[in-house]
Amino acid sequence: MDPEKILSSDKVLEKIEGVCKRHFSAENDQNECYVFVIDRLKSDNFKRLRAYKGKSKLSTYLYSLINALVVDFRRKRYGRRRIPSGVVKLGKWAEAVYRLVCWQKFSFDDAFDFVRIDGLFEGTYEQFLKEIAPIRNAPCRENPTFQSIDELRGSPLQNIVDSDSNPLESLIQKLDRERRIKALRVIRETTEELSEKDQLLVRLVYGSDQPVSVAAKVIDLPASAARGRLKDLLTKYRERLLAEGIREP
Amino acid sequence: MGKWINKSMKPSVEPDSEDHIAIEDLARLVDGAVEKAERQRFIRHLNRCQRCYKILQETLKDVSAEESLQMVPSPWWKTRTAYALAASIILVLLIGGPLVFNYWNPRPQVILATLKLDQQLKDILLEDDALRWEKGKRLNRLLAALQQKGLQVKELNLVVLSKPYYQKKSLFGPAEVLQIRIENNVAYLEVKEMNQ
Repeated sequence: MDPEKILSSDKVLEKIEGVCKRHFSAENDQNECYVFVIDRLKSDNFKRLRAYKGKSKLSTYLYSLINALVVDFRRKRYGRRRIPSGVVKLGKWAEAVYRLVCWQKFSFDDAFDFVRIDGLFEGTYEQFLKEIAPIRNAPCRENPTFQSIDELRGSPLQNIVDSDSNPLESLIQKLDRERRIKALRVIRETTEELSEKDQLLVRLVYGSDQPVSVAAKVIDLPASAARGRLKDLLTKYRERLLAEGIREP
Repeated sequence: MGKWINKSMKPSVEPDSEDHIAIEDLARLVDGAVEKAERQRFIRHLNRCQRCYKILQETLKDVSAEESLQMVPSPWWKTRTAYALAASIILVLLIGGPLVFNYWNPRPQVILATLKLDQQLKDILLEDDALRWEKGKRLNRLLAALQQKGLQVKELNLVVLSKPYYQKKSLFGPAEVLQIRIENNVAYLEVKEMNQ
């Protein structure tokens, strides 16, 4: 394997360009990402490319490597952003809200639900609205071109999945705030009780919208078996939700 | 993406491990080329490490997209067989097309003839002054006369005379000819003098 030849191939350069474009919306970020990845691949006499031992497909290795470098680039570029001291003073819940709203571009409403689910904020929505005033005033939009991986395909709020393919998400969307928070807690607790394989399967399929066949390959199950497993898991979630008095409105 | 489900399965404050899965191992996981024991270890790590999960998730997307692109069969019209078939069809059309066209769209046959205006034809023309002859005895007589003179006429529905024909008084007058054009079973007749 000649790393120089690999890196000069049009296909590989297209891969890098494609991944950078997918991760960043601003052209400037895309270009810097592209240059960063190529520099890193060249650095130390192509150390990262030479590390390939042929145990996976070269194409898959390259995609993993490029994605890892893009994550590094993002962290290098934006990771040093500090949470404003005014927000830090408010506590962990405020830091979480700041990350969600400023870095991941969730709405304050969504952030409220998430910090409630995480048990970081126990107050009411009205209290939350009062207490986030310093966060609203914090300089969190100094770099609006920043885009988290979670929002690669648009705003999180636009990422409403097809209800047929994601029954859990569909249920959550139909619930009012209090019931939604309760349901998400039940889902989280139920997930934590699952085996490691089942946890990853649920997260890949219902959290990241990966096709069942793709997720099945990762956890080493035939696709049909993974579908059967998901059916059983959905029944389990449903029973738990019903036991907590949560049903589809 | 399942916004709520994804978020409910990971804490808002994401703990990161320093002991990440090696890039090639993540690639092997995507390829499904991992032993059972190490798979368990990787899956356990992925359930806790946001960075490795993100890389895995993104790689899965890239690989799936690439595979689906590769798996898309080339359209049938881009196959070699289709090209050969298309070439054959074009050849057949080029060679046989005109024949088929003629068969299905026969050109109206046009018969052009100049006949010496003999007494038989003169008699038919002199029957009356009508310039248009519909089907009838006169038309049938003309048809029979033309067939006798060797014209391949099977049927006539109408005869159109350019002007009424009158017998020339002079015995030595110029010889006359009958110019005939037959098209779509319609005969167009015009008497002309030979020197015209």
